[in-house]
Amino acid sequence: MTAPVLEVEDLRVRLRTPRGPADVVNGLSYTVGAGETVAVVGESGSGKSVSVLALLGLLPARVATVTGRALLQGEDLLTMPPERLRQVRGPGAGMVFQDPMTSLNPVLTIGRQLVEGIRAHGDVSKQAARSRAADLLREVGLPDPERALDRYPHELSGGMRQRVVIAIALSNSPSLLIADEATTALDVTVQAQIIDLVEKLQAEHGTGVIWITHDLGVVAGIADRVLVMYGGRCVEDGTVDDVLEHPAHPYTRGLLGSLPDLAAPAGPDGEVPELTAIPGLPPPPTDLPPGCVFWPRCPVRADPRCETEQPPLAVVGSSGGALPHRAATWCAEEEVPRG
Amino acid sequence: MFALVHLVPGDPVRLALGTRFSQESYDALRERSGLDQPLVEQFFGWTGRALTGDLGVSFRSGETVTSLIAERLPATLTLAFASILVALLIAVPLGTVSALRPRSLVDRVATVISQFGISVPDFWMGIVLILVFAGTLGWLPSGGYVPLTEDPGGWLQRLLMPALVTGVVSGSVITRFVRSSVLEALGADHVRTAQAKGLGTRQVFTWHVLRNALLPLVTVTGVQLAYLLSGVVVVEIVFSWPGLGQLALQAVQARDYPVLQGAILLFALVFLVINLVVDLLYSAIDPRIRR
Repeated sequence: MTAPVLEVEDLRVRLRTPRGPADVVNGLSYTVGAGETVAVVGESGSGKSVSVLALLGLLPARVATVTGRALLQGEDLLTMPPERLRQVRGPGAGMVFQDPMTSLNPVLTIGRQLVEGIRAHGDVSKQAARSRAADLLREVGLPDPERALDRYPHELSGGMRQRVVIAIALSNSPSLLIADEATTALDVTVQAQIIDLVEKLQAEHGTGVIWITHDLGVVAGIADRVLVMYGGRCVEDGTVDDVLEHPAHPYTRGLLGSLPDLAAPAGPDGEVPELTAIPGLPPPPTDLPPGCVFWPRCPVRADPRCETEQPPLAVVGSSGGALPHRAATWCAEEEVPRG
Repeated sequence: MFALVHLVPGDPVRLALGTRFSQESYDALRERSGLDQPLVEQFFGWTGRALTGDLGVSFRSGETVTSLIAERLPATLTLAFASILVALLIAVPLGTVSALRPRSLVDRVATVISQFGISVPDFWMGIVLILVFAGTLGWLPSGGYVPLTEDPGGWLQRLLMPALVTGVVSGSVITRFVRSSVLEALGADHVRTAQAKGLGTRQVFTWHVLRNALLPLVTVTGVQLAYLLSGVVVVEIVFSWPGLGQLALQAVQARDYPVLQGAILLFALVFLVINLVVDLLYSAIDPRIRR
């Protein structure tokens, strides 16, 4: 593997809330290599989005305290001066947000929103920026890009808007692309198109991608590596095959068990196996359990330390690749029946 | 509206003639002003004439209503537009600053100022200003109006205080709107997209926050302007400002039906026109409303 594009080390985010400080991200470490896709999965409220917004300084400074290190091509995003951070947003890292209905400004044309991003990072004439914008729209597969420049977001469908958001994110050829639930708000066929598009662009430009999602189907299709988040911590990471085929953490098993398995053999009466849900809710970030974060909902609880001691992220085995398969659980060795 | 005007107790003819008058002169004047006819006939007669631009003749002065209104209009327009200017100059910076730092000291001070502006009676503010600037300091005349074309300096001197009073009142209302709409615009998802593009703070603020907060601002400014154009009676009286509000008030006191009806018709027209302008501005500002 070449030098990583992004190296995150012990990232912590604490938010000030009316109910006291909330530890939303607690010691997250991972790397993203050039051309590599890392999927971050977890339930709503597991700290996925906050962890990437924190990287680019997009959390309101009044309420968020971010610590740790996040080296983007060797430069620490978390300590860089605001002006340098502004320069990095765009050419260093582009971001695609969850809801294309709201992530574009409704009162400005598509063209304007692309052009201002291009011109923010270089002395480009309006005409040059406009033709670059049209090229970008063509690249993301928008029909009739010249005309689309003069359109407003509400004149486009959700899928088209998300293509525009991707075009904006790619407009300064970033070395890292962060997609924060980029396909969640889209219907399934459009979702597949967007994923194909990102994979194609990634292959062409060698961009590192962080793909945040709660959709394990998407993960299997797109990611090289998976990082499972729960309660603001990484509870399991490894290659897609390791994590999805041999999940070690009870939480990951629970997540996989809550997916319908279309390949599963039907019962004698043609009935399909029932889906299992993980009972309960994730712990509130203002009040995390002292031991394993998953302990309150865990069906296993095989070790007395589960309740009292935080399990470290430890290697649980590897399918032979360069990447270790790690999980933060005391129960890794126990054979847990898969939901 | 017509019925309401006529329902006001009091007889305009009696009021016009004073305390001593003969039955003949009473009947003559009553006939001349058409008040002896049935109310329905009076209404249709008035409506018909109003459509041709004839609003009738004042019972009190004998001048045509149109000329009376035309006489007062420049003063009212001047005060209304000056006030809205003052209001916006107060409201936009104050509202923006408090939205940028919600619950900060600046925000609290701005809240207190605008609450003060909303709740303090305008006549009291006017009197205080007169006492300080016209009385103690003697910098400004205490009231009156001269046309801009005659004496620009005097025009400005006399405009300053009444415009400040009405401007502070309107500005206080608008400040609250600016604060909430900027606050809302700041929280919008597209602001984060703009930041993630690497735009500078000022550019994000101008084009992705203020630009989007403009719509509610236009609405509330339109409402305030319509209110100011229909005459701010109390302030006009305090500063002896010869505007439409004063005219309407005098018409009510004298039961001068034609003048009152004319003024009310004008106020209704002003509301219509301003609403139309606001709607047109909407579509210029927000592409989603076009077509």
